[in-house]
Amino acid sequence: MNSHTHELHYSPTCAVMAEVHIIGQIIGASGFPQHSLFCKWGVHTGGAWKLLSGVVEGQTQVDHPQNDDMAFWSHPIDMHFATKGLQGWPKLHLQVWHQDTFGRNELYGYSFLHIPSTPGTHSLLSPTWRPLGTWQEQICQMFVGGGPQLKSSSLIYGGSDRYRLQTVAMGQVHLQLTVILRNFERYGVECS
Amino acid sequence: MASGPSVFLLNVSGQIESAEFPEFDDLYCKYSFVYGHDWAPTSGVEEGISQITSKSQGGKQALVWNFPIEITFKSTNPFGWPQIVISVYGPDAFGNDVVRGYGAVHLPFTPGRHARTIPMFVPESSSRLQRFTSWFMGRRPEFTDPKVVAQGEGREVTRVRSQGCVTVSFNVVTKDLKKLGYNTGSGDFPNATTMSQP
Repeated sequence: MNSHTHELHYSPTCAVMAEVHIIGQIIGASGFPQHSLFCKWGVHTGGAWKLLSGVVEGQTQVDHPQNDDMAFWSHPIDMHFATKGLQGWPKLHLQVWHQDTFGRNELYGYSFLHIPSTPGTHSLLSPTWRPLGTWQEQICQMFVGGGPQLKSSSLIYGGSDRYRLQTVAMGQVHLQLTVILRNFERYGVECS
Repeated sequence: MASGPSVFLLNVSGQIESAEFPEFDDLYCKYSFVYGHDWAPTSGVEEGISQITSKSQGGKQALVWNFPIEITFKSTNPFGWPQIVISVYGPDAFGNDVVRGYGAVHLPFTPGRHARTIPMFVPESSSRLQRFTSWFMGRRPEFTDPKVVAQGEGREVTRVRSQGCVTVSFNVVTKDLKKLGYNTGSGDFPNATTMSQP
């Protein structure tokens, strides 16, 4: 019946590479002390990964929600990667910021998550944390606001330098991401 | 040469069921679709405008539209997967129609029946002076094109207030997505963690 099962049409730009689509939304955040929030996000991949289309970083709108238990961003994400290997599977890193009534921004939390490797639609919750600082800094933060921030965002998604940090839990980010895979079966890679 | 399919089809039917806006009444909605360059609608209706609905008398205070959606897209590439953009309007104290919410969600990716609750938001004035003039003139800020809520770029300058939500149900049929080598998984939420609703 299927004489053409092994002669599928592949797009000419990436005839032999496996492809990953990541499509969905950063829905919003809950569990933070204040809910006038926005989010900076980015996707980090290994060297074998090539972005074919889409953007891999951005910033959401600032939501001042009517009812104060969740901020909604409904921020769309749409990325198309080609890859030669599984190393460096995409990681999404997030920074949640609070904007006060004067328009000042302060860091509320960092977080990262691996993009799920199972194809399909995933509802995800990503818990966040922020650096605590010394006790002098904490007292200063009580009165002035602000607080310590990381100098380099690689600490968010890397594990090698984390042991220097003391952190405290903050709220969580809600996401819905759909992963579509192509040509993985061709190489015997089992993702589901 | 045995020629396999070169495009896949995404057929979506469904309805904009209802909305929850505790503060507002007599609302109607508009819908449209935003999709990437590789996508094209092959049949169906690309945009629509619903009737004006009032809240039910009972305790639930539901705003029911029961408004049909039917559309078929074709594409060669999932990038730019279509999103439905919904905007809700209703009369203010002077009887002028003002926007009560914008929202967008991607059409579901897997065959079957899916329900989506879309959180809605309205843009806010960026300065106190604008806030005062908009209050004084009785005109609140709107997006000139509601389709911007389906775009990710340039949103860092936008201030919004989220209020209310809209419930939409979809029936999805796909054709030749697998034959083109795409694996979208199956089932709606294979490893779902519960999403807390507002």
